[in-house]
Order: sequence, then C-alpha cells, then structure tokens
Amino acid sequence: MFSKALFKQSMKANWVKWVSVTLSTCVMLAIVIIVLGNLGINDIRDSLKDVFTQADQESYLKENAVDGYELYLTSIELEGTLQSLDADMAQTAYGILINQYNTNKESYKTENNLEELDETALEEIRRDTATSIVTNPLIWGGITSQLGVSISQEQGIDFVMEIYRVYDNPVYTTSPTEPDFLTKFQNILRTSFLNYVYTSAYELNLSQEGSNDESATYSAEKMEELITNAMASYQVPEGEFDRTPYKESAMTGINNMLYDVTNYTYYNQLIAGGMEEEEATSTAEQYAVVVKVLSNTAISTYELWLDELGDVEGAQEQARTEACASITDQIPEKVSEALSELGNMDIYSLIIGSIFYRIAGLLLPMVFVIMTANGLLAGQVDSGSMAYVLSTPTKRRTVTVTQMTYLIVSLFAMFALLTVTSVIAVWISGGNSFAINYGQILLFNLGAFLTMFAIAGFCFMCSALFNRAKYSLGVGGGITIFSLVCTILGLFGSSVVPSAMRISAMNFFNYLSVITLYDTVSIMSGTLSYLWKFGILLAIGVVTFIIGGFRFDKKDLPL
Amino acid sequence: MDSVITVEHLTKDYGEGRGIFDLSFEVKKGETFGFVGTNGSGKTTTIRHIMGFLKAQSGQVTVLGLDAWKDSPEIKKYVEYVPGEIAFPDLRDGTTFLKAQAELLGLKDTNRINYLVEKLQLDTSANLKRMSKGMKQKTAIVAAFMADKDILILDEPSTGLDPLMRETFIELLQEEKSKGKTIFMSSQMFDELEDVCDRVALIFDGRIIDIADMSEINNLPYKTFKVEFTTREDYLKFKRLKYEIVRDQEKYNQVTIKVYDKNLNRLFDTLKNYTLKFIAEVKYNLEKHFKEVLAKEYARLDAIKKEEEAHPKPQEELTRTEQKQIKREHKKEEKKENQSEKNEKFFNKPKVKAEKKEIKTHKKEAKKAEKQEKKEVDNV
Repeated sequence: MFSKALFKQSMKANWVKWVSVTLSTCVMLAIVIIVLGNLGINDIRDSLKDVFTQADQESYLKENAVDGYELYLTSIELEGTLQSLDADMAQTAYGILINQYNTNKESYKTENNLEELDETALEEIRRDTATSIVTNPLIWGGITSQLGVSISQEQGIDFVMEIYRVYDNPVYTTSPTEPDFLTKFQNILRTSFLNYVYTSAYELNLSQEGSNDESATYSAEKMEELITNAMASYQVPEGEFDRTPYKESAMTGINNMLYDVTNYTYYNQLIAGGMEEEEATSTAEQYAVVVKVLSNTAISTYELWLDELGDVEGAQEQARTEACASITDQIPEKVSEALSELGNMDIYSLIIGSIFYRIAGLLLPMVFVIMTANGLLAGQVDSGSMAYVLSTPTKRRTVTVTQMTYLIVSLFAMFALLTVTSVIAVWISGGNSFAINYGQILLFNLGAFLTMFAIAGFCFMCSALFNRAKYSLGVGGGITIFSLVCTILGLFGSSVVPSAMRISAMNFFNYLSVITLYDTVSIMSGTLSYLWKFGILLAIGVVTFIIGGFRFDKKDLPL
Repeated sequence: MDSVITVEHLTKDYGEGRGIFDLSFEVKKGETFGFVGTNGSGKTTTIRHIMGFLKAQSGQVTVLGLDAWKDSPEIKKYVEYVPGEIAFPDLRDGTTFLKAQAELLGLKDTNRINYLVEKLQLDTSANLKRMSKGMKQKTAIVAAFMADKDILILDEPSTGLDPLMRETFIELLQEEKSKGKTIFMSSQMFDELEDVCDRVALIFDGRIIDIADMSEINNLPYKTFKVEFTTREDYLKFKRLKYEIVRDQEKYNQVTIKVYDKNLNRLFDTLKNYTLKFIAEVKYNLEKHFKEVLAKEYARLDAIKKEEEAHPKPQEELTRTEQKQIKREHKKEEKKENQSEKNEKFFNKPKVKAEKKEIKTHKKEAKKAEKQEKKEVDNV
C-alpha cells in the first residue's frame, strides 16, 4: 500500500517548490506578526477607545455632580418641611404608615405560623408594605402633599422602608400619643433620609470600576456628612422657602466632596497599583482637581440651563441632560456608531486572522498544492512518465496512497513550520499579553491546515479523475483560486470590516468559497462554531481523497 | 511451447473507426513477436492492454495465464516495458532516474545497469530534460532491461537511435532472445523486425490482417531474378523457354523470373549461352510481403466500397452515431404518440394534429435519408 521509493521520488520532484513556498509564507507571517506588532497598529483603536471611555466617565461624573447638587438643595427644603410639620398631620401620616406595617407583620406571622420575624422576613414585609403604600396614589399623594416634598416612587419606596427600619429600632420606638412625638417623628424622618442618602451613595460608588468597600464607605460617609451639614444650615426664611441663598454653599460642598472622594479613591488605587506614595499623592490630587473643575462646570451649566428654560415642568430634567452631555452625545448617531465600532475593532485579528491566514497565507500553499497534486498523478499520466512506475510491480492503489501521503505530509510539515514561526513571533510580540494569544494562534494554524487539507483533497481528486494535466489544473486549480478570490471579495461584505467600509451585498461571495468554513472570527471571539466547520473541512478532504483514490484504480491510462 | 501472451477478441472502440477490433493472437514462450502497422493503426493501444493500463471493452488479454487488467501488478514482476512515448519523471539526471527506478524494482545489483550503460554508450549524468531523443530512448531501454525479467514488451524501441546504435540495440535484443526471453515489440522498421523476430503481425485500421512467419519468408523454395539481355534476339529467345515470368519489360529487354531452388543449376546452364547485361536477385522480404498483403487489403476495401455504392447500406451496418440518431428519432416519435394519446383520453380531441405531426416527421426523415445518401456518395 505504500512505496518508499515512489515517496522519495515525489519528494525529489517537489522539494524546491515546498521549500520556497514554506519559507516565503513563514517570512510573511513573521513580518505580519512582529513588525506590525511593534508598529502598534492598535494605537489608533486604543486612543479612540480612550476618547469614548473618557467621554462616558465625564458624563457620569457630571451626572453625579448635578444629582448631588439637587440632593443638597432638596435636603435643605426637606429640613424646612420637617421643622414646619404640623403635629396632627404628622400623627395621621405616621399612623397610616405604621398601622399598615403592623397589620402586614401580623398577617405574615399567622400566614407562616411564626412567633418571631427574622431580618429577611421583616425586609420583605417592609418592601411589600412600602410598595403598596407608594403605589397607591390616594395614600401616597396625600402624604407627599402634606409633607410638601416631591419624591419619585422608587425613592419613595426606599424612603418608607427606611422609616420602617428606623421604627423597628428600639431607640426610636414611639407612639403618636406621646407628648414629644413631633420631635421624635422629625428625628425618625431625618435619620431615615440620611440613611437613604448614605445607602445610595455607597451603592453608587461601589458600582464604579475600581471601587471597593473601603472607598464606597468613605464616599457614603462624606455624602452623609455633607447632607447633615446642609440640613443643619437651614434657616427659617421670612416668607416662602427660596433655594437661592444655599446655591453657593451647595456648589462648593459638592465640589469639595467630589474632590475629597476622588482624591481618596484614586490615591488608594494608585498605591494598590504599586505607585510610590509621593507620586500617587500628586497624581491623585491632580486628577481630583480635574474632577472638581468638571463638577463645577456641570453645576454651573445646569444652573444656566435652568434659568434659560424657566421653571416649567420637565425643565429640570432637560437642564440636567444638557449639562451632562458628553462629546459622543453631540455628534450624529451614525458617525458616533461608526467611530465606536472602529474603536472596538481589533485591527490585529483582522490583519492576522482574516487577511493573513485566510487569504495571503493560503495563496502560496494553494499554488503548491495545485501544482503538486497535479504533478503527482495527472501530470505524470499526461506526460507518460507514470509508465515507469506502473511497469514495476507497483499497484495503482500503492501509487495513489503514496502520493496522497506525500501531499498530506508535505502540507503538514509546511504548517508545522508555520505554527512554530507564528508561536515564536507571538512570543516576541509579548506572548499572551499580545492581541492574539497562543491558543488562538494555534487554532489559526490548525484551521489553515484543515482548509488546505480539504483543498488538497479536491485537487488530488481532480488529478486522479483526469488524464490530461490541463483539465486537472483547470478544474482543480481553477475552483481553488476561484474560492480564494471569492474570499477576498467576500471580505468587504463580512463583519470584520467596519460598517463604514462594508458593502453587505459582497457577503454573497462568502457562500461560494470553501474558505468560509475556516471561521477566524469565531476563533477570535471565543465561540465554538468554528469546531463543526473544522469537521466539515476535514470531511471534505477525506471524502475527496478517497474518491480520487478509487477512481484512479479503475480508469484507463494512456501510458 | 506454452503461450506467454494471449490476446483473444480484444476490442476497444474509440469511435469514428478508431481503436482496435476483435484482435486475436498469441505469443509463445521464447518467441520474438513483431507488431507492425501504420501510424494510428492500434499498436500502442494493444500494448497498453497487455500492460494493464487500459481495460478491454470486450475480449481478454492474459499474460502467463493472468488477466492483464486485474492482475496487472503481479504480471509486472515478469515484464519489462519500454513505452512508446518517452517522458521521464521530474528528476534531475539520468543517474537519479535509474537509481529511483532500480529502487522501485527492488534491485540492489548494479552490474547489469553498468553493463547496459556501457553497451549503449549512455551518458547518465545528462540532465533528463535536455536529453536528445536518442539519449532518452537509450535511458528508457536501460530502465526497462535492467531488471532482467522474462518478458519484454517494447513499443517502437529503436526510434531516435542512430543506425550504429540500432545495430547495437539489435545485438542486445538477440542476446536477450538467446537467454530464452519472450519479446513482443512493435516497430515501423521492417529490417529490424526481420533481423530479430520469429513472427510478425501486420495491424491495419485496428485489425490484424496478416501474421507472417519469418522462417517462411526467409526460406522460400524459389528465388526471383531480374535478367536483362544485351540483344533483342537473346531476349526473345529466352522468353520462349519455359521459365515462369513474373514481370516482362520489353522496352529494356528485361524479364523477372521465378526459379525454384532445384532448377537453379538449369537456369545458369541456360544462361551460359546468352549475353547478359546484368542479372540480379530480387530479394523477397517482409516489406515486400506486407506490401503485397496491403495491396490485397486495399483492393478488398475498394471492392466493398464499390459494392456499397451499388447497393446502399442496410440498417444493421450503420455506424454507431447514425444508429443513435435513429434511436433518438424513434424515441421522440414515441413520446409524441404517447402524448397525443393522453391528450385524446383527457380532452377527446380529434387526432388531426398528431397525424399532421407524424406526416411532418416522416417528411423530415425522408429528407435526412436523402442527405445522408448524398454525403456518402460525395465521400466515395
């Protein structure tokens, strides 16, 4: 089934081709990975990405500043409301809230046959009760209008739950009939509000990137302190409440608070990142100043917009949006999308995966396979030199098995060398920290080998089917090159090309090419759909090799 | 003697009269069998069947009792082959090629190769692609002969060799023959076949029309002489004698006579009394023999053609393509008929249209037949 002599002969006939194709492909690959890697072709992408992340951060920061500013002013107003609370009113409101809560607690106990309620059960009852109260427009509308503060439903639920938590705390246990009930109720509301401020500030900070419990606690404490001071600074106005006198202190307070929090958080991050203490201090301070300036700008802009829009309904919301707009909000949506896509695009995987491994890197091995596959059978039959092999006691099956072994082994050796080259090149370019890691580069090579295996099978089949080299080359080579050209054209319609340059109709060409089964995008993105496509490539190769082998056994040879 | 190569009713039709048809012959052990014919007469096709490169359409080829197609690799253990078209594998030079070939054959001993190379004065270091036709031929001969197997199959082995080298080659062949090998060779050179072969087959248009026994041709019981006399009287006088005159050329006072060996002495006795301008033996050889056979064959073909002209071909003897055409027409008609029948069943329409169509097709056929006849006449 295998002839060593014939194998040697094939090697002698094709080694020059093999060496030149392998070397030039290796050099090409090394250049693509190393040289382009050092040129830093991803810099553009990174800087674009930076612009977008900065814009996002900026917008977020501004929102924080404006929200904090609003909260500051609201808290002063709330303090005013608290101080002017009517005792009867307070009794009624508190009564409604607490009665409902106690009723629910009792029914929960009987429903679940419980003597005592633990904290989780209590929390559940609190949420249910708060939700039922806040979502009932009759009750909640009454309470808020009595209190004279506007609170959204979500905030309202949190707030009411906070009131229940305080109520459950023995220190604050009170009953509406007690003589100093009003003061106690005021305290309960104040504490609930401050708790609410603390919790939301804590959670907001924690949701930020790079934050931890420590910095979140710091931020929440700062915020609580600021609001406590704000409420303490309330002075009973002559006539109606006016927020104007408090604006300046609100702005300064928020600016300073953001400065402190940023400085603290960033400093800790830098120290954790391994920076020297001194350097970290100055860097954090610089950054905090930037944040302070940003906050200042945002609040001023917000005030200006508020003045501009007048005191109409929704003006506040619009002013807030305008003040917090980032660069990306200002450019047209399509351009912004294209830019952000460009920012997210990995030029490395485009050039190495979709251009090198699927097109440039396949071209030379393809030429090698087309020529060699043709020369292994059809070429020798056409010229007549196959007669020398077949006039020895060599079976035709031995000839086909030996020749296909040569073709597969030479391809395998070629891609083994290519794999070694690519792994070394990736190692030089920074190993796993490089845009493409070792696993991906190995999969790229495996995929390229399987693609070439399928193509080799097809070319070999053509070589075995035809007695004429021109037909074998024409059909085998023609369809192979056609596939490559379709892949080149299809590239302009595929998802790897940024949408600004993409012509989606060109994607049609991808359906005409066998190389489409070599899914580099799937390898890069880490999905597994490349696996079954690899399977199909392998199957194509195996089937075509077998068809070629059987056909050659049975046909007439003009020797 | 056992027969080594047997060809029975071998047919391979490539269409348009090309191919080989109902070929039968056998080559016996130790025999040298020649195969001669014009270009394209089917020599190489026959050899390819013996080598198992082509599958017979019908008939059978056996070598040493083994089927040439199925047991081809087994047969190759006993067969050496020089192909008609010399093309070498893509290797550097003659030495590399011969080494590769020796490896394929599993040969370790290089003595025979050296002997052959020396005998044929072959420069094996020459580049395979740049070799002249003669050198390529010599390389091919060495590649075939080096295994020293029992059967030699040679397809025009001496083409491209210069006359001296051809002599050497024939010597080599005779050497092989003396070892008792069976040789089957095709050639266009009558003289080399005459020198080596025991029997020679003549193939013409894919059919063997004669197999000549060389010993019969060489040992004819009579000789042919051309005699020219100086005077007219002698010429006329000689003609009156009872010699068998094959050809008479009055103009030159020349006669060609056939004399049986036993009568030779009588002839020379007679001629003592005549003044001769010259006397020469006209050699009867293979070439002459086959020319005669071919002339007869041409005459036969002419006769057949004339016959055909007189009486048009009956349908059985139509060529394949013509038969196919007729078949196709038949099928078309059948289809039409079927359809019209169906139509009738479904729609109860009168058969007028179908009838019209039938009439049309008949007319067409008649026209076609006329055309074909005309063509045939033209061709003749």
